[in-house]
Amino acid sequence: MALERIARKIPASLWNVASEKLIDLVLNSPNASKMPSDLAKTILYYWQRDQLATEIGLYRILEASMILEPEKTISLMEELGLPAIVVMLKETL
Amino acid sequence: MKEVFFVVEFGIEFVPRDLYWKTTFYAIQAEKIGFEYLWITDHFNNRNVYVSLAIASAYTERIKFGPGVTNPYLVHPGVTAQAVATLNEIAPGRVVCGLGAGDKTTLQMLNLEQRKPLRTIRESVEIIRGITSGKTLEMQGKIFNVAGAKLNFKIANPIPIFIGAQGPKMLELAGEIGDGVLINASHPKDVENAMTFIGRGIEKAGKELNDLNISAYTSFSVASSYDKASKAVVPVVAYIVAGSPEIILERHEIRAEVANKIREAIVHRRWKEAFSPVNTEMVEAFSICGTPETCVDKIHRLLKAGVNQIVAGSPIGPNMRKSINMIAAEVFPHFKEVIGEKRT
Repeated sequence: MALERIARKIPASLWNVASEKLIDLVLNSPNASKMPSDLAKTILYYWQRDQLATEIGLYRILEASMILEPEKTISLMEELGLPAIVVMLKETL
Repeated sequence: MKEVFFVVEFGIEFVPRDLYWKTTFYAIQAEKIGFEYLWITDHFNNRNVYVSLAIASAYTERIKFGPGVTNPYLVHPGVTAQAVATLNEIAPGRVVCGLGAGDKTTLQMLNLEQRKPLRTIRESVEIIRGITSGKTLEMQGKIFNVAGAKLNFKIANPIPIFIGAQGPKMLELAGEIGDGVLINASHPKDVENAMTFIGRGIEKAGKELNDLNISAYTSFSVASSYDKASKAVVPVVAYIVAGSPEIILERHEIRAEVANKIREAIVHRRWKEAFSPVNTEMVEAFSICGTPETCVDKIHRLLKAGVNQIVAGSPIGPNMRKSINMIAAEVFPHFKEVIGEKRT
């Protein structure tokens, strides 16, 4: 739930770029086997419907990237100029 | 052979070495960008082909899909018939069945011998086609005997059978009895040669060239630079060189002893020794590799040699997602104009 609230705070203007970069993080992660199967299926559901760059899709892909690559996810949010998100993500660790 | 017109189709091959959700993610992506066929390889040591296909089919709506290819040494053709018929229930009209003699190295791990491949494939096609047609199959073959085999469920449509082939006799057989041929080749010289034998099979069966979907099943690697693409494709090319018959090595001026050394190194999992002899000539002979522009040129040459489907096989590129997007943006747009080109 915390991550869902955090995802909602990502400005809509950054949904596309954040989603693209998070997808890359998840697909190329050496920790890919840590992905929970239910979450993977949810992400596939949103991917099929082109909804990974929506509020709900972004939440799910953020959830996955925080499981697989928490530090890289936080660095990415820094790169995107989202310091408040960075603080909130660090609190979830 | 008379002149006919054709439409280009594109297929993509995935090796289910990856986690199921990654393969499915890329399958969805492939459908979105316009691939017509999804082929998933069948090796016992990777994830199961039919489970992978079933999941991919649940998240896609249009793309045709099937094993690319399964073999009758590891899986009895009756079970293959059952599997593709079940998939067809999940995705009616989208299922195809790729069948070949299998990969010798993988079969040897299970102590399975590729005995009488031509006869085995011929009978397997008869069994798969017979059973998926819904009839009760009686067959006394030299390899398989079938006594009243019938599925306990109905299948709505015929399932096209594509035969994976490389050698002259298998290519001829594929032309004769297949609904499609998957030519294991990436070079126009190999495809041109293959077309001769496929043509003989077609004639033997009294069919027309247009009755058959003829595909070049390539090893494909696209990237922003030749070096990046080449680096990704080298391991695949090493396996192809190691597994190619001498006649094909000779066609590309590759010495048999080099191929033997690569094969030996692969068997003993000495990867550096296996991959380091792979040179640019081998990469050029056994893959479509390079920038999008280079790949477009190579695809054109294969189409002119007579195929009507290009299968982009493993590795696709150094970064799967980026390479698929690159195909969408910089390769596919060049082939709209090919529709209607003459195939002789």
